[in-house]
Amino acid sequence: MRKQGLFLTTLFTAFFLSGCIGGEANIVEKVEPRNQIVSNETSNTSEAIVQSQIGRIIGEEISPTDIRVTNPNSPEAIAVKKLKNEGVKFTLYFSFDGYEISEAATNEIIKHANLMKDYPQLNLRLEGHADERGTREYNLALGENRALAVKDVLALYGLISRTQVISYGEEKPISNEHNEEGWKKNRRVDFIYE
Amino acid sequence: MILSRLTLLILFFSNFSWGVLEVSVIKNEDNALPVKILPFQIIGSVQGGDLIEKIITNNLNRTGHFSAKVDPSFDKNVINFSQLRSEKFEALVMASLEKKSEKIFDIQLKLIDPYSEKTIMNKKYAVHDSGIRRTAHFLSDQIYESILGIRGSFDTRLAYVTVSKNSHGKKEYRLEISDSDAQNPKTIITSTDPILSPVWSPDQNKIAYVSFRNLRSEVFVQYPFVRRKTLKLPYFDGIASSPSWHPDGNKLAITLSKDGNKDIYLYDMEKKSLERITKNPSIDTEASFSSDGKKMVFTSNRSGQVQIYIMDLESKKISRATYEGNYNAKAVFSPDGKSLALVHRLGKDYRVGILDIQTRDLTILTENELDESPFFAPSGDMIIYSTNKKNRGILSVVSIIGRQTFELSSVNGEVREPSWSNYSQ
Repeated sequence: MRKQGLFLTTLFTAFFLSGCIGGEANIVEKVEPRNQIVSNETSNTSEAIVQSQIGRIIGEEISPTDIRVTNPNSPEAIAVKKLKNEGVKFTLYFSFDGYEISEAATNEIIKHANLMKDYPQLNLRLEGHADERGTREYNLALGENRALAVKDVLALYGLISRTQVISYGEEKPISNEHNEEGWKKNRRVDFIYE
Repeated sequence: MILSRLTLLILFFSNFSWGVLEVSVIKNEDNALPVKILPFQIIGSVQGGDLIEKIITNNLNRTGHFSAKVDPSFDKNVINFSQLRSEKFEALVMASLEKKSEKIFDIQLKLIDPYSEKTIMNKKYAVHDSGIRRTAHFLSDQIYESILGIRGSFDTRLAYVTVSKNSHGKKEYRLEISDSDAQNPKTIITSTDPILSPVWSPDQNKIAYVSFRNLRSEVFVQYPFVRRKTLKLPYFDGIASSPSWHPDGNKLAITLSKDGNKDIYLYDMEKKSLERITKNPSIDTEASFSSDGKKMVFTSNRSGQVQIYIMDLESKKISRATYEGNYNAKAVFSPDGKSLALVHRLGKDYRVGILDIQTRDLTILTENELDESPFFAPSGDMIIYSTNKKNRGILSVVSIIGRQTFELSSVNGEVREPSWSNYSQ
């Protein structure tokens, strides 16, 4: 499964780096399967097809008309299932104390909006987070504002009812380092498909 | 000034439970007042009676104001005052404890001033037997007040959150309560989801807190002394957090984002009604009331910076309280209502400061990088807050004149989010 994680990262690095151009918030290549489900049944080849399919979906390489999933065993269907069930996470990072969405970040969010429009069976949970500086309650509010800022973009695509916002404030850091390197990783909104 | 660090792992009873915090006393040897305590005279069988003077001694010493010692060899019938004066003792404490019935103690407490050679206090109390520790804390409060003129904060409780790793390597959060000296720890809630902002109700019967157990922040009210008794709040969309008790003990201020942005609401638990207190497109949170219930302090970023505001609850008029620096948050009123303890950003650091509301003078009390959650002791002369030490969360207590007094830490993990109760009833 380690190999799969690595593959996912490479795939998304290739795709997302193109969208990473400074500004208030950037989508970065971070992708983390939350539950590493070990499956012996899937051969490496079909696994690779499914992975590339996730990449194609997010990457808008498939036009919306191609990808209505009818066959539950098609690579697209399996890819969507993976997005929903394995907690694959996309992350948008924020500046210190900020919750503004830059133009670059808006473009990344639009890709997710398109994905959701194409796949009505996908719902999105936006988890807002803050770094440890400042008070816990204020950070809880700040985390929600970050997630709500993302939701505002999705709202333009009529996706409010399929988007759920929660804030964890500073309670669930990615990094436990008490320095700018660590804080940078913690000021974020995680996109989790359900 | 010599600062010596004395670590006392107090284990009076054999009931060592998971959560006993380690108490580290930071003693100021130059300024502490020497006090001599004589072993208490115990009449009748009093369970744990032999501990009483030890508990009082530790209480007084923990504050940094005293250097108390028990002297078992002192002959109270022949008091050598010149000897006491040459040893610089400020007071001689003696007491007797008599069991009158199953539930009642008679206590006589006497303080003698070696300089005037007079009895400065001689009081008799009939105390309901709610345990020897409670009695010792009550007597500590009396001694403290008789010498310093302010009531102590010993007969009180703490609530706090501990974080440790469980046997599966997962984070485990515990809402704990203890006596003011960290003894009698009791776990109220255990959860693998974050717990924050516990706060004692004014009558000390309930604790409001925030839990993520339903994968979102929600406010809960728990009766810590009644097993499994909780008080249910309605479901609100969005964030529900930052609970704070109105001094009437019935209303709870909470931050809700159900109407889009984060505002402060007042929930009446009797009437089950909700009143919106602030209405502003910015973040309003971290409400806290003055003890007379007339004012509410809160944090808001309405100016573009994070600052503290005070609302007059009758006129609903809001005035900004902090002007120094670009980040001031989580303020609480001192018991006399004249000042606020708050978190202030100084350069890159977050420190606990005290603000004189009238003069706007801000005094920084702490000197670490990530100090937060200040809370006044009911006496108003001490502030408990959470900080990081060697990358680990601990609680620290500082006197309002800026003197560090003691720290509470856990060998099992982190301690954070303190709340200091009112006096016990």
